[in-house]
Amino acid sequence: MRKVAYIKRSTGGMVFDILNGVFITIFTILVVYPFLNILAISFNDGIDAVRGGIYLWPRKFSLLNYEYVFSNRDLLRGAGVSVLRVVVGTVTGVLGSALLGYIVSVRNFYGRKFMRVLFLITMYFGGGLIPTYLLMLRLGFMNSFAVYWVPSIFSAFYMLLASSYIQNLPEALFESARIDGSSEMRIFFQIVVPLSIPMLACIAVYIGVGQWNSWFDVSLYSKDGKWDNLQIILYRLLNQATALQKMMEQQRVAEKMKTLQPQTVRAATTIVVVLPVIFIYPFFQKYFVSGITIGAVKG
Amino acid sequence: MQRKTEKLVPSGSQTGFDKFRKSLRTQRELWIISIPIILWVLLFAYYPMYGILMAFFDYTPGKEIFQCPFVGLKHFKSFLTNPAIWQLLRNTLAMSALSLTIGFIAPIIFALLLNEVGHLKIKKLVQTVSYLPHFISWVVTGSMVYMMLSSEGILNGMLLGLGLTDKAIPFLTQGSYYWTIYIIVNVWKGIGWSSIIYLSSISGVDDELYQAGAIDGLGRWGMAMHITLPSIAPTILILWILGIGGILNAGFDYHLIIGNSATQAYWDVIDTYTYRYGVQQGYYSMSTAVSLMKSVIGFALVVLTNWISKKTTDMSILY
Repeated sequence: MRKVAYIKRSTGGMVFDILNGVFITIFTILVVYPFLNILAISFNDGIDAVRGGIYLWPRKFSLLNYEYVFSNRDLLRGAGVSVLRVVVGTVTGVLGSALLGYIVSVRNFYGRKFMRVLFLITMYFGGGLIPTYLLMLRLGFMNSFAVYWVPSIFSAFYMLLASSYIQNLPEALFESARIDGSSEMRIFFQIVVPLSIPMLACIAVYIGVGQWNSWFDVSLYSKDGKWDNLQIILYRLLNQATALQKMMEQQRVAEKMKTLQPQTVRAATTIVVVLPVIFIYPFFQKYFVSGITIGAVKG
Repeated sequence: MQRKTEKLVPSGSQTGFDKFRKSLRTQRELWIISIPIILWVLLFAYYPMYGILMAFFDYTPGKEIFQCPFVGLKHFKSFLTNPAIWQLLRNTLAMSALSLTIGFIAPIIFALLLNEVGHLKIKKLVQTVSYLPHFISWVVTGSMVYMMLSSEGILNGMLLGLGLTDKAIPFLTQGSYYWTIYIIVNVWKGIGWSSIIYLSSISGVDDELYQAGAIDGLGRWGMAMHITLPSIAPTILILWILGIGGILNAGFDYHLIIGNSATQAYWDVIDTYTYRYGVQQGYYSMSTAVSLMKSVIGFALVVLTNWISKKTTDMSILY
């Protein structure tokens, strides 16, 4: 960017700029296009869509797919579970990591180093899939909501993020509060939390998106389907449609809405699943990036 | 230990243990907050680490690991002598190799090209758009892949429309396409996100270098090759060393979503094997042995690559 000023203009440079512009444009289109295509298909009539050839705009406009999605009980329940997961998981995860980050930043706390090391080790070593899975079974977390948030309250990575932020807050604030006899929890909630909103927002965005996008833990632990979220429903919609040759879906749908096709229902479900992320994206993307830079420095 | 130090330290000054005891008194509140956190980490992070020991036993759930018969390296041997290992290794290494070459270079090239875009607003916009796929779940990504590549998908529609093929190509059910699609989707999903780190280290390059370069008559190509690229070389190297450590990770969610029985010979990697045998079929000990082996090899590879890099370029990520 800055260096452009020092450079002589040359024909070669102009040609490069044009080619580069073309490349960047094509790249951007390739990134965005799958979203637009799915959007177009989701608004198209089912039987018409099977013929193919819908690229950017619905050919035979229809709201039926969305009507189906928003009237399907499983999907509505899944949406509820997804939202609950995000809310509970984010609140507990953010407060947990921030509290831990605060504790390991209290300058003269004797256990500070011990706690820090205890968590840092978990960043590099872990039990892996099977021992973790067996632990969850043993704790009775199968078919429970707890499995979505209890194992992720604290995390070494977010502890580092939080503590590097909290350490830069003026120490005098905490000291004076302590001298005034305020409790540690009160310092945390009334001084640390209000002063750390940007850092908390960054962690919240990461945890929230992660919770919304999770599907594998659901497939492991939600066996009776009571706590299925949207992602796992979409996952089954994908696999059923290919494995069972769309049989099941079609039959279930047939009595209700005749022109529905698995392909368009899938598209509409995908849009419903992805929309919240795209919607918050412009507002939070600065936090995404600040997170990776802090992570890069620390990690 | 304790008694010894007491003798050595004259009364009045404090030993570590005394300090600890005093802190239990004076910092009681902080300890009270810490105790549940410590219990939590012991349970959710350290107990599963202890669970790895089941790799050396014939573990059956419901019992303690040490109550089960000790079998030593039986599970390791049985995996290593299993003929299925060759296919797993082939798939794992093939897809990792694609990720460590194409998947690794693509974000670097993208960062260098984006850096040459003169218009600041466009640059920002493209960058913002480029890492959107990173935040999209694997399931949604899978759904898009189906939309694009299934036999009634967009790509087949285009190919048929242009007359390039007279029959729909079974991209998703023919194994020979699997690796290509895997790397394309992974580049699509990761290129923007991985390029952030390069773009931020490019923006940290000292402006004076470019001034000096201009005086010495470097053009844009020369500056990119002789100033920008060498400046981000340490970052590239660090990420590559870390990437080597993950050579036995060759995707997981992706295969469970996009892979199917028709393409299994091309997507079954070590992680999906562990999942299938461990969680789905209950071979807990064998599965744990396989993932333990995998982690140990990954760790050893990071140390080895780091050692080579230290010898040859004097750059290191470990201490």
